[in-house]
Amino acid sequence: MLLLAGPCFIFVAKPTEQHLGQYYTVPPSHFHTVFPHGLPPRYQQQVKTFNEGCVMVRQPALELISHLKRADYSKPTLRYLLYGVKGSGKTMSLCHTVHYCSTQGWLVLHIPDAHLWVKNCKELLPSSYHASRFDQPIQASNWLRNFRTTNEHFLSKIKLRQRYVWTKRESTEEGRPLGELVDMGVSRVKSSSDVVGAVLKELRLQAGGTEGGFRLAVAVDGVNGLWGRTTLKKEDKSPVAPEELTLVHNLRKMINNDWCGGAVIATLSQTGSLYAPSSAYLPQELLGEEGFDSMDPFVPVPVSLYSEKEFESCYLYYLDRHWLQHPHSQTEEGKKELIFLSNRNPSVLERLCAFL
Amino acid sequence: MAASLTGLLKPWTPRVLLVRWSRYNPYYLEPGPRKEVYHIPETELTPEQKEERELKSVRPIKAATNSVTSSVFNDPVLSKFVNMMMKDGDKIIAKGIITQTLENMKRKQVEKYHKAPEGKKAEIECNPYAIFHQALENCKPVIGLTSIQKGGKFYQVPIPLTDNRRRFLAMKWMITECRDNKHRRTLMYEKLSQELLAAFSKEGNVVKRKHELHKMAESNRAYAHYRWW
Repeated sequence: MLLLAGPCFIFVAKPTEQHLGQYYTVPPSHFHTVFPHGLPPRYQQQVKTFNEGCVMVRQPALELISHLKRADYSKPTLRYLLYGVKGSGKTMSLCHTVHYCSTQGWLVLHIPDAHLWVKNCKELLPSSYHASRFDQPIQASNWLRNFRTTNEHFLSKIKLRQRYVWTKRESTEEGRPLGELVDMGVSRVKSSSDVVGAVLKELRLQAGGTEGGFRLAVAVDGVNGLWGRTTLKKEDKSPVAPEELTLVHNLRKMINNDWCGGAVIATLSQTGSLYAPSSAYLPQELLGEEGFDSMDPFVPVPVSLYSEKEFESCYLYYLDRHWLQHPHSQTEEGKKELIFLSNRNPSVLERLCAFL
Repeated sequence: MAASLTGLLKPWTPRVLLVRWSRYNPYYLEPGPRKEVYHIPETELTPEQKEERELKSVRPIKAATNSVTSSVFNDPVLSKFVNMMMKDGDKIIAKGIITQTLENMKRKQVEKYHKAPEGKKAEIECNPYAIFHQALENCKPVIGLTSIQKGGKFYQVPIPLTDNRRRFLAMKWMITECRDNKHRRTLMYEKLSQELLAAFSKEGNVVKRKHELHKMAESNRAYAHYRWW
């Protein structure tokens, strides 16, 4: 096992197997464009404290990136599912892959947490487009705003292929740039959920196209929220099923593999999930029957706890950033105790080192 | 020897009993949770340590409390502070507040450290434990006041304080200050970290309270001879 003399920082955009366990710095300019949403909150605090954002190169992310490099984009989309115990680094691997895709010039559709769309919704409007569905204006407009920040340069290049009518007086013509549609969705909050549906449909149609073709990466965190139960209630106190929400309905269509020219990368998450036991982490348990049947076939990517080399690297990184301040934590005894207390779980280690 | 003396270890209570005095027979020894003591080989022990070890092999030992650990990160002063902050026996919440406070202090200091120019980096103290201990030292009063009755009237007389009393007063003032003088929306750990950082640099309300006590003691110097111990 190669022990690194210190945490090695690499600056290449394309990490390879040699760089396993080492930290790679995301340039500060990328943080606001690529990740307006989507990073775990504790990681965002860490970026603010250390004045830099470093991500560890780990096996699941490398596996995903190698799959993405070698996939055939004229065939129907491949779906990749990251699964693992709580705190093992699924969201961080997803963010690493999203950053890779955006540096390669892909269009990234990043949904930070699908569970946020099925719970705690203050305003649930009945949809104008479809009688039995419900709209969520606030969530949809927030997401469109972040989508606009992420993909500025694509918005003027992609032209609409269909005419969309919003009200008697408003409509968006064929051939207009996508940016106009997104701006309309952000400003007219009432129809923002339908705008989201239109954007997803347009991107799905145009992703594999030969003229001005771009690759589309759909990154969904907490995908098991799309097929469970919701905590939302209609006015007569009956529960709302996920299918009855416009956002969820359109996202499910996106995750189907009936389009080509891109990839769907999803993460399971028990932390925000509803009505799921806390010990569940396998795809079968969290997705349920319906979800598993819709996601099937997918490429499962297991995310494990830190190996010895990765733990070493993380420990040295915290030492280098002056984060481990307790005098005893810098000794061998303290390190053994940290391994024992955290069981090499990345998030538990982070919380322990926070107050040590 | 132990077998013959076990007859003497009857349940025993002293004649004068206060509520929180320990019920253990004084024959029992204190537990020693630190691991380093037991790793020293036979040859390197001093005579006192050898005697202690022999005594431990014969005498019974009290049970260790839940808050005492053999972990290297165990800090008795911090444990005392957690116990003082605890309400209704809820140690989990109290310990949670203290860990959040330490994390908050460390975050502020490390952020300042990373943004500071090279020359100023050495002056910034990032260790939250060092800041906590130094802040508590800065809040400890040197001299205290007590009420003594002389000729029908009560006078505030300056008296020396023991170490334990000084530590208790510093912690008590810190906790009451953070509980009372904060905005309704500020959380306890936020206010505590602000106060501790202020006390570390000898500013803030707690250090002011200590100075006021010193001034009162100075002004009541004339009554110092009323103390008879």
